Formats: sequence, C-alpha cells, structure tokens
Amino acid sequence: VNPFANLAPKVRTKTMTEPSRSKTRTLVVAGIAAVGLSACAQDAPQDTWDPAGENAQMIHDLQWPIFLVAGIVGVIVMVAVTIAIVKFRDRGQPIPEQTHGKAWLEYLFIALPAALLAIIGTFTVNTVLALNETDDTECVVNVTGQQWWWEYDYPVDADGMICGEYQNSAGETLPIVTSGQMVIPTDTNVLIRGTSRDVIHSFWVPRLNGKRDMVPGRVHTWRFQAWEPGIYAGQCAEFCGLSHANMRMEIVALDPPDFQAWLDNQLEPYQSPEEGTLAATGEQTYISQCSRCHQVDGLTDGGGELVVSAPEQFVWSGAAPNLTNLMTRNTFAGATWDLLIESCRDEVWEADPDQFGERYLEGVTPECLNEVDLKEWLRNAPAKKPMYADPESLEETDGKYRGMPNLALSEDQIDELVAYLLERK
Amino acid sequence: MITTGSKLLIGSAVAAWIFAAVYGIAQEGTLGSIGLVSAAAGLSVLAAINTYLRDSNVPATEPESFASSAAAQASARPTLWPLLAAIGATMVALGLVTYPAIFVLGMVAILAATLEWLVQGWSERASKSAEFNAQARDVIVDPLELPVIAAIGAAIVVYAFSRVMLGLPSKSATVAAFSVVALLVLAVGTFIGFRKNISKATMTGAFSIAAVALVAAGAFAGLNGERETHPHETPGDLAAEDECVDAETEADEKASQTVAGKSNVAADLIWDGESFEVDVPGYDGNFDTLTLPRSNPNNILFRNESDREARLTIELYPDVDTDGVPLGPERACTALVEEGGTQFLTVVFTRPSFALDEPYEFVIAGEDSSVEVVVP
Repeated sequence: VNPFANLAPKVRTKTMTEPSRSKTRTLVVAGIAAVGLSACAQDAPQDTWDPAGENAQMIHDLQWPIFLVAGIVGVIVMVAVTIAIVKFRDRGQPIPEQTHGKAWLEYLFIALPAALLAIIGTFTVNTVLALNETDDTECVVNVTGQQWWWEYDYPVDADGMICGEYQNSAGETLPIVTSGQMVIPTDTNVLIRGTSRDVIHSFWVPRLNGKRDMVPGRVHTWRFQAWEPGIYAGQCAEFCGLSHANMRMEIVALDPPDFQAWLDNQLEPYQSPEEGTLAATGEQTYISQCSRCHQVDGLTDGGGELVVSAPEQFVWSGAAPNLTNLMTRNTFAGATWDLLIESCRDEVWEADPDQFGERYLEGVTPECLNEVDLKEWLRNAPAKKPMYADPESLEETDGKYRGMPNLALSEDQIDELVAYLLERK
Repeated sequence: MITTGSKLLIGSAVAAWIFAAVYGIAQEGTLGSIGLVSAAAGLSVLAAINTYLRDSNVPATEPESFASSAAAQASARPTLWPLLAAIGATMVALGLVTYPAIFVLGMVAILAATLEWLVQGWSERASKSAEFNAQARDVIVDPLELPVIAAIGAAIVVYAFSRVMLGLPSKSATVAAFSVVALLVLAVGTFIGFRKNISKATMTGAFSIAAVALVAAGAFAGLNGERETHPHETPGDLAAEDECVDAETEADEKASQTVAGKSNVAADLIWDGESFEVDVPGYDGNFDTLTLPRSNPNNILFRNESDREARLTIELYPDVDTDGVPLGPERACTALVEEGGTQFLTVVFTRPSFALDEPYEFVIAGEDSSVEVVVP
C-alpha cells in the first residue's frame, strides 16, 4: 500500500471541444498573420532591410543569406519536431527500443552546425572589418551624444575647406555646429568621429549603417554614405536614461550643390531682428531666458558684447543645442518633434530625390511651423519629454539639470521666443 | 517574587530605553534610534514574559517549587560583565561630548556585556549540574564569541603592525625592521618545531610576551605619529603652479609610473623637433587645427618623435563663476616626455573659441611650435 497515494496531485483531464479547438486555431493563425503583416509596414523609416548606402548594403548582403539559411534550418527543425510529435505521440503503445552511441550520426550533427557557423563567421568577420574601414573617407563630422540629443560639428581642414571639398565661403576657422539633423553630401564617404559627454549612447541610422557606441572619453569612428538625397531616421540604440526612447537622430543627404548651399547658409553672419518687431522683443527674451545654456553665434547684448552661453554651469552634460540656425532643421528636442506641420513634413520626406534639396533648404517657413509642439515645449519641456529636471532632486547632479527645465515662461514670452526663433535661418 | 533573570531583563530594557532617548536627542540618527528602540522594545517584551513565567519554568502558582527547582540549586557565580557594561556606559557618556567612535564602542561594550550576562545568568540556572550549565553556556555563546574574539585579536595585531610600519623613520627602515622580525619568527618557529616537548605554559608565556610587545610597540608608534611622507608632484601640480616649463622637474621623475588609456583618443599630436602635426584617428586627410568639443574630457596623445625631451602644454582659459573663481584648471601639461616617448593628456574646454581673445593652442614648452584648437 502506497502511504503517499493520497498526497499525489489530482490530475484533471480535459477534452478539447470543437468550438475551443476552432478558437485556438483562429488565435494561432491571427498571431502568425500579425507577425507576418508587420513586415509589410509602409511608413518604416528605420528599416534595416532597405539599405540606402554602401555600409548598410554590406550589412544587408550579410544578413539576408544568414536569415535565409537560419530560416531553412529553422523550418527543417520545426518540421522534424512536428513529425516526431504527431507520429510518435503517446497512444498507449509500449516504449520503443532505446538506442545509443551512433558515432557517425553524432559526428554529423556536430560537423554540420560547425561548418555552417564557420561559413557564417567568415563572412561576418569580413563584413565587420570592411565596415570599420575609414581610410577612404572624404568628409569629417564630429558627433557628440548627451542626454538626450546629438550634436554635430563640421571641422575646417588645413586648406580652409569643410567636409573635404566644400568651400568655406566665410573663411571662418570655426566649425558649423548643429544638432538633431546631420547634413551630409550624397555619394560621399563621411567619417563620423563620435563621443559622449555623459553616459554611453549608440548612434544608429539603420538605412545607412549599423550601430556604433559613443563612449565618454573615447572617440569612435564610423563611416556613412547615402546614395540619394533624403532624410534617414535613426535612434539611440543604447539605453541612456529616462528619455532614451526620445533620443533620435536624422541624417539628411543633399546633392553636392545643395550641400554647398546649406554650408553657405550656415556660415551666414548673424542678423538681428528688425527693431520694433515681436522677434526683436524675442531676442531680448532669448538673452534673458535661454542664452545661459543655448548658443546663438554672433548674438550680442545691448552693450555690443558677444552673448556666450555657459551650459557647463547649468546642465549635467555641459551642453545644450546650438540654436543659430534652428529653422534650417526640421526637428527639435533631440529630433523627437517636427518643426514642420504634418503636411509640410510629408512634402519634405516624400519629395522626389531631384527636388528634395530645394524643398529641404527652404527650412521652416511661418506657414509650415509646428507652433503647437514648439510652444508646448517652451511652456514646460519636462512635461513633454521626460527629463530629470525637478529642481528639488538635483543633489546628485550638483544642482545641474539633465535636459531642459521648466522655465515658467509667460504666454507673451513664448510668443516672442517663437517669433525670434522663426528667424534663426 | 521577581527573579534575578527578570531583574536583569527589566534593567536592560530600562537602560535601552534611556540610550534610545539619549541617542535620539543627542545624535539625531534615525537608523540608530530605530535600532535602539527596537532593542528596548524587545527587551521589554522579554522582561514581561520572564516576569510572568519566572525562570526555569517554575509556575508562579506553586511557591513550594521555588526551593526545589533546578534554578535554586546553584547560586550565581561572580561575573565581570557588569564591569564591562559600566565601562561601556562611561564610554557612551564620554562619546556624547567627545568623539562618536567612543560612543559607538561604548554601545558595543554594553551590548556585548548584556548578551554575555544574559546567557550566563540563564545558563547558571539551566540545571542542577554546574558542569552541564557551563557546557550549555559554551554551546550558546562559542559560535559567536570565538570568531569575534579572533577578529578582535587579528585587528589588534594588524593595527599594531601598521602603526609600527608607518612610524618607522623611512621605507628602508621598515623593510629592515620587518626582515629582522620575520627572521626572528622563523627562528622561533624552527626552534619550536625541533623541540616538541615545550610545555603549554612556556608557549603561552612566550606568545603573551610577544603579543604584549607588539601591542606596546604599536601603541608607542601610534602615539608617536606617522613618519612624514612627501607626496610626489604630478603634471597637474605643475600646471596649477604655472610651472609647465621645458626643464625637468620632480614630477617628471615618476612620469613613467603613470597609467593612462592610449586608445580611441581624440587626436595624436606629433612633435618631430621641427614640425608639430595633428593626426586625427580614422581620417587620412590633413588638419592643421584641431576641433574638439566643449564641456567634454578630450583625451590627447602626445608623441615626442624629436631627439630631445619635450613637454606639451596648453592654456585653458576657463570660465569664471560670479565671484571670479575659475571653473576649471587654468592650464594643463604633460610630464617631460623622453625621446620617442608618449604621454596622455586630458583637457576640458569650458569656453568656445570665439569667446576668447587668444586662441587655444597646444604648445611645446620652450619651443616655437603650436597647434591651434578650435572649440565650437
């Protein structure tokens, strides 16, 4: 007599009825369809399967055969498992004879995956090495990440040129500084020299290249090339804090003449707003409220002194976006929101490659300005984009903000600032 | 009748409540107060239970059992734990007006005395047999007491050793002294190894003398103070004192001992004795200026490919706060780099180039060569 018999768990057998079987079938089909259909998304600007540059093409040329082989192997395994489950399922038959030690079969099962992995490994290593080549780059852009936006600057080379062969029309030695959107010439190998001011970030524009970590204290290099004019979207790929998901980037590729035009515009000297306008009032509001952290190159105060920002005194990363030519970009706040209203944005994003440059260089016009999001941002930035900006919890950061704080601006000040910023082209 | 054990618990509970109140008022330590209040509450509950049930489970309703119970068969032995508790209380009082460390040590002494006294009090009434009672006490206390005593002993030895080592007049004297001590230990160990019939008393006496000597030497050295140590100057000290010159300094003597990362730098600066070049890793083109981001630690590798020693320096022109105090170092420099040598330098620029009257420049000290740095 088994003394523990009464302690054994009671097993309840349940026979699946026809309606519940049909429900399960429907759920399985719906799940597979959902996964399959998600691959058919049209509006997918971060699509690794749609390369738009040489490096992305190299990755694509590597990944699709690997996925193909992995898919075939996966199907073979699944079919074999399914056959085994169905054919040899328990029908009350006796346990079949157990066999052990088929050496040739074991060797085969080791050799096959090993050979497969060796082939994949060889191609992968070759591609990784090729992706790391930067000897053929013609244009240098310094990229600096910080919570939660990217800064780009274009150094001037020994011949006074910017980005290799482009004229520095102003003869300046100072580089162009921008953020959110990095503008590059098409069909040019661009060298990105990236680092970070605070934590580790990762620069990833899937249609142009793979990921590259940006690490404080280290400069990592990465090559980009875009075949056609257009905007290529990206996303920080290394968790970097509260607003990691809102740390985006866009690479804008322009034909060489358009790129030269963009450079010329960026190098234009600062123009103060016309006196007596709302924008002129906005300039003073900007100096009193924004210039502690944000730089507008060439801006002077009432005494004719250059207004120089000091973000290292107020921001944990020590930097804030340069707003000199804000309205030549289409985005703000770490490329999270558009400066263009939806219809104008669509016009730019969907423009033919031949017309893209002209449309992009128009920048943000008063008719196209996305005033709603911009004003919401100015009204209370941390409410729009989560940031560690609570003044009461800044002990760990020596009183400095991570991201933009709520400046408690009045509605009049917001209107003035929008009018002023609209002229920053 | 309130038994002796109950009196002890009641007294401990009252003392714990007083300590909790004193600590809470004097030290304002939340965690400490919580701990002391918890201990006091625990002791109060134990005192109440013990008072109600009496020691050794003698029912309070059977007074005739008092005389025949196990607890009544042996009287309590004299003990030194109250003395330790009194010393602890004195230290607590002293610590409140002098150093927190004395207060903490006093609390530890009181806690240790309380625990030991409690266990001793309980064990002496555990049975009629004094031998069994002693064993019962050891079973309860030894697992805690022995490791704690060993740790305290080891700490005393280490601390005494360290005081002696730091008190000797120089590093070489320390090496010599401890070589002698090591040889002595080896000789004594060898002697004991060959003489197997040394009595326990002799061994105990010898080790006691050694322990007393060590503690005495440690106490003497500790009271005498540590020897004066002279910190080595670093290139950071040179920069702070505006002495980034081409002559050799004390900071340069130890430069080879510095450790620094040498990969993924922002730029290599190469000095060959005549020309001073910028090499931007990853780029084959030519820059005669170096563009480096603001508010970021930029790591530079200085390669001296000339036939003489050279030092890389830079003025940083830091921003100032509202009181005019610079918000960063005013300059930076490497140690004097030997021919063919390499040094690492980290620089942070707090102001953009356009805000300066003079450009940022990496300069070879004593030479007429420089590389301009552009900070956007």
